[in-house]
Amino acid sequence: MVIDWLPSILIVVLLALGVIGALRRISLWRAGQPEKVNLIAGLMAMPGRYLNDLHHVVERDKYMSRTHVATAGGFVLSMVLVIAVYVFHVEQKIVAWLLLGALVLMLCGAFFVFKRRLNPPSRLSKGPWMRLPKSLITFALTFIVLTLPVAGVLPEGFGGVLLTLILSVGVIIGLGELIFGMGWGGPMKHAFAGALHLAFHRRPERFGGGRSTGLKPAPLGDESHGVAKPSDFKWNQLLGFDACVQCGKCEAMCPAFAAGQPLNPKKLIQDMVVGLAGGTDAKYAGSPYPGKEVGHAKGGANNIITAGLIEADTLWSCTTCRACVEECPMMIEHVDAIVDMRRFLTMEKGDTPNKGSEVLENIIATDNPNGYAPGSRTNWAADQNLPVIKEKKQADVLFWVSDGAFDMRSQRILRSFVKLMKAANVDVAILGDEERDSGDVARRLGDDATFQSLAKRNLATLSQYSFKKIVTTDPHAYHCLRNEYADFDTEGALKGVEVLHHTTFLNQLVQAGALKLDTFKGGKVTYHDPCYLGRYNGEYEAPRDLLRSLGIEVAEMERSRFRSRCCGGGGGAPITDIPGERRIADMRMEDVTATGAELVAVGCQQCTAMLEGVVEPRPEVKDIAEILAGQLIEEVH
Amino acid sequence: MQPNVVSLVSIGRHPQSGRARRAEQDGRGVELGLKLAGEKLSVLHVGNPEEPVLRQYVGMGLPAMTVLKQDETADAVPALSDYLQQEKIDIVLTGVRSESGESSGMVPYLLAEKLGWPVVARVADIVSIKDGVAEVLLALPRGQRRSVTVKLPFIASVDNAAAPARQSAFGPGQRARMESVNTHGEVDQIRVNWQEAPAKPRPKRLKTVKAKTAADRFKAATAKPQGGSGKVMKNESAAEKAKAIFDLLIEENVIR
Amino acid sequence: MSDIIRRDPRREWIARNRLHPLHDSVANAVQGEVRGPSGLLRKNPHQVGSIGPNGLKRIDRLKGNAVAGVGNKRSAANQETVLPLHKVDNPDFYIVVVPDMIGGRLSGHDKDILGLAHTMTSTIEGTGAVVAVCFGESKEAHYDLAGVDRLIHLSASEYEGFAPEARLTALTHIEAQLAPKHWLFPDSIHGGSDLGSRLAARLGERPATQAWQVSSEKTVCRGAGGSLDITRQTPRILMLLEECGEAIDETRHEALAIEVDGISVSEPALQDKGLMDVDPSAIPLAEAEFILSAGNGIHNWDQFHKAATILGATEGASRVAVDDGFMPRFRQVGATGTWVTARVYLAVGISGAIQHMQGIGQCDKVVAINTDAGCDMVKRAALSVIGDSEEILAELMLLAQARKKGSQEEQSDAA
Repeated sequence: MVIDWLPSILIVVLLALGVIGALRRISLWRAGQPEKVNLIAGLMAMPGRYLNDLHHVVERDKYMSRTHVATAGGFVLSMVLVIAVYVFHVEQKIVAWLLLGALVLMLCGAFFVFKRRLNPPSRLSKGPWMRLPKSLITFALTFIVLTLPVAGVLPEGFGGVLLTLILSVGVIIGLGELIFGMGWGGPMKHAFAGALHLAFHRRPERFGGGRSTGLKPAPLGDESHGVAKPSDFKWNQLLGFDACVQCGKCEAMCPAFAAGQPLNPKKLIQDMVVGLAGGTDAKYAGSPYPGKEVGHAKGGANNIITAGLIEADTLWSCTTCRACVEECPMMIEHVDAIVDMRRFLTMEKGDTPNKGSEVLENIIATDNPNGYAPGSRTNWAADQNLPVIKEKKQADVLFWVSDGAFDMRSQRILRSFVKLMKAANVDVAILGDEERDSGDVARRLGDDATFQSLAKRNLATLSQYSFKKIVTTDPHAYHCLRNEYADFDTEGALKGVEVLHHTTFLNQLVQAGALKLDTFKGGKVTYHDPCYLGRYNGEYEAPRDLLRSLGIEVAEMERSRFRSRCCGGGGGAPITDIPGERRIADMRMEDVTATGAELVAVGCQQCTAMLEGVVEPRPEVKDIAEILAGQLIEEVH
Repeated sequence: MQPNVVSLVSIGRHPQSGRARRAEQDGRGVELGLKLAGEKLSVLHVGNPEEPVLRQYVGMGLPAMTVLKQDETADAVPALSDYLQQEKIDIVLTGVRSESGESSGMVPYLLAEKLGWPVVARVADIVSIKDGVAEVLLALPRGQRRSVTVKLPFIASVDNAAAPARQSAFGPGQRARMESVNTHGEVDQIRVNWQEAPAKPRPKRLKTVKAKTAADRFKAATAKPQGGSGKVMKNESAAEKAKAIFDLLIEENVIR
Repeated sequence: MSDIIRRDPRREWIARNRLHPLHDSVANAVQGEVRGPSGLLRKNPHQVGSIGPNGLKRIDRLKGNAVAGVGNKRSAANQETVLPLHKVDNPDFYIVVVPDMIGGRLSGHDKDILGLAHTMTSTIEGTGAVVAVCFGESKEAHYDLAGVDRLIHLSASEYEGFAPEARLTALTHIEAQLAPKHWLFPDSIHGGSDLGSRLAARLGERPATQAWQVSSEKTVCRGAGGSLDITRQTPRILMLLEECGEAIDETRHEALAIEVDGISVSEPALQDKGLMDVDPSAIPLAEAEFILSAGNGIHNWDQFHKAATILGATEGASRVAVDDGFMPRFRQVGATGTWVTARVYLAVGISGAIQHMQGIGQCDKVVAINTDAGCDMVKRAALSVIGDSEEILAELMLLAQARKKGSQEEQSDAA
């Protein structure tokens, strides 16, 4: 009887349509720029990456991770068995029972998905995502009923034509969402694109506990620089955008979104999807960019992104704090995409907002963002008796002073650090006037040409001298030196050199007993994790160890360590200065105040400046080096 | 009608680092030129076409610029006036003073004299061009402006009060064409005999006290210098405080 | 009393001779002033002071020889006017100075250049006269004290206001008539540098610009954007920086008028359309001379804006005021905003973060209105007022309005 075959035929047809959709989707990604990826190795590694790395991120929300394991695991297993049973007609009872088990598992998961969707938090997208749990339940129930006869629970032909028809409708609804929708851009696209995204990720180093945070160099001298159109992205970046599940974890973490600046990382990625597939954002059902209405963005793979799809202000709102990337369960690289698009705006359009152009011009002409005389870089150390490496040629530790040298507040941090190093008898030297800006600001503002020129010149200087370690008090310079200079280090200037942040280095000194410290007798102390030290470089412990060595028990903020909220000072955000409703630094200071701390310890001059910019009364802000220097027991000879 | 505008550009010098850069006033000249003539603006430089700083000018959004190739020691004015005479030009824009070399600010005047054109100094903006007459705003100190009309063609030197130069973009700057024209430059003979040295800080003029008596001189020498911490008014009434401020404003002549 | 000074040689002789029996009586007698051969007042140091109660001589240094002057008012009245007259009868050459005459008066810059012109004349062989060429209406009353030997005053209407071309024509005439040895212009934005450059181009002379150390042989001038000192022979035309010389203050000069005839000024290519009415709020912050700046301590923003309008000040703001959205970003003063150069900076409710203080480093007079007497702005300010800003601004506005009214009445009275 034909009617009995209907579910099987439907399954085959929907599978075929799903495959066609998937191929079409793949062709959309292929509009992107080529990028070498090891396809086989990537596919082989994919299940591991899924079960390990991705699950690690999802596991932060236990409810969701279990739900997802049940639903996704149940679905994948039951789909395999459905194909076995209904397409290839494997008619063993044990298989049917297995299928039933998988379906029940999935049904349980789907039920919890349903429950979460009853009263969803604002970060979750609505729209088609609201119907997903119903489709999942329909799929599971349909196939359970369909399989019961196969398993021998119900007699063959139970329910007659009517039931078969009803079940066929169920098959269409369930598989339509789960298989057809997967290929044709429904919510289930995330499974298919996500799996491939994990396989062909642009930063495979991130899997297996690794870290890859340095920006990729922009090729210079081509017809265009940076990303102007969606098709200028690498193909696997486009694939990555498609992997988004619109869970909104990024949105919940984004400091710019919270401050009411026109950025929402989730919407940004969805706009990228609109761009790569063509069309408008009218179907987007999540939170908008603050202050902007949804539905007016239009884009196509070959249309300029900032002409209609995304406003430039959105791109300039980002502080590059990587909170979104850290939080994304699909491991999407928002910051890379934003900087890629900024590169186009700066290097092709010459359109860096507000003080951006002035700062870049200063960096080009004076090697520091504020246009100070390069010859005055060492003025702060006039009374410090610090050897300059040009005279010594070699030292154990090279102290990378960074542009804090020009800022009177930051100089206090520098002096404190020098005092500590002297107390520990460290063989230290500075580059003096030979040092230049690390290029951090230029790079985040999209001017990779200037960054690369600075990096090359700095490396050429460094290669003349010999030293074992570079220590810096500036996490931004630290990140550049440690993670981004390697791309340009043809001479091996940093080969075998350990690049350390001053908190790490000081912690080593304290652990080795080289510093004698008094216990701290002030009030409550909390610690603010700088983005470029924590999320970018994974250093969460050394600063806390140092505080502990002073007898301080850190009163942790609700958002600390990898969830630390940005101070608002990264990525050139204070320079581009996109207006919002609040200031990010004020919000961070509220976090600090909530702990009841009287002092907030920081490990970054930029964070210090931002947090001290909050109107008093507020807790005191001090760099860890300053706190340590205050507690140093100086030996009297 | 879009006027034919030429912006003359030179190699600037950053006041802090001494490094070559896009000259402040010349950049504003190009900006003003772009406002008047759009992409049809011609940008002209005399000197070395290989100079990387020139890329910063074309990076403001110009497809090409012209360089009259000439030795550094040569005088730029003859080459410029020869070149400008050949073209049909309405407005020539220059900076008020170059940031390198002699910095005499004479180029616009010498060109005007040679070409027989009027010269307008310290232009803040060119407001309109109608029927061959341009309405020009001159920059006066402290933000004041004077309106002047002048017939085309003319030469204008652009003041720091003009609209700031737009950001220079790396990509277009690198791709723009450098059209090099060979010129014969004559060596600047007068300048050869000059001695040049890094600028010495100028001594601040001391307040010489023409005291009639030794006592006055003594007082002048030992009196506390003005300034330090100023006057602080705390317990006076609001009206008295306001009066003190108001008197200072009148004394400083900022209230008219 | 007769004004004629009469000398009594005998008394003088007795006064000089301390051994003379009448010396004491003559010396102690309150004597009129003693004049030296050049007419300058001479003082007898032995006469100064009095014998104190314990027999020691006491000199009242604060009042100088006030005691001696009490009985002789005439000396005080005459003292100022009798600077020696510097006379040039038949000059061998001229040095022409073309002062800016801002507001019709010689500026300090102009006077320095006149002084420099005299030091130059004194080192050149022959007798030279310093000629000042003044255009337009003149309110200057003391050309003689500023060192003007000869004055060419061209007050015809065609030289009024902005008329560089007419002035240039006049200067070329003067060139033909006097053939000056040097032309000196102030290198200023008030027109001196423009006129000097025009004349140099017209005469085909290579001028020295931004000159600051000038003798009759050698000139040191700034080059390369002020980073270079160029030492060169002193050319005919010089444009001089401020403080290039010492103003004349010890001599009087004739300020004889020279007539220049037959100048025919043709229709200028540059037509002056007058000064624009510039709204103080439209003046770029960096150029403004009077800034009323608001900080965190301002609560009544309407009042603040009104105060700025009434006082005619350009508005500025601290970072916090801008961050809080009360003021636009381009109004922000400080290292991260605009570096300002105002002559008067009135900071209302700004405590003075270090970045802000950096930004106002070049301001002449800072006035602070603040509730906190210990803040950095108060330390920096020339005048600080501790109290509620709203109240004080209200009083200030009243004062400004009263003054405006007063001056209007004055005008209507005059009319």
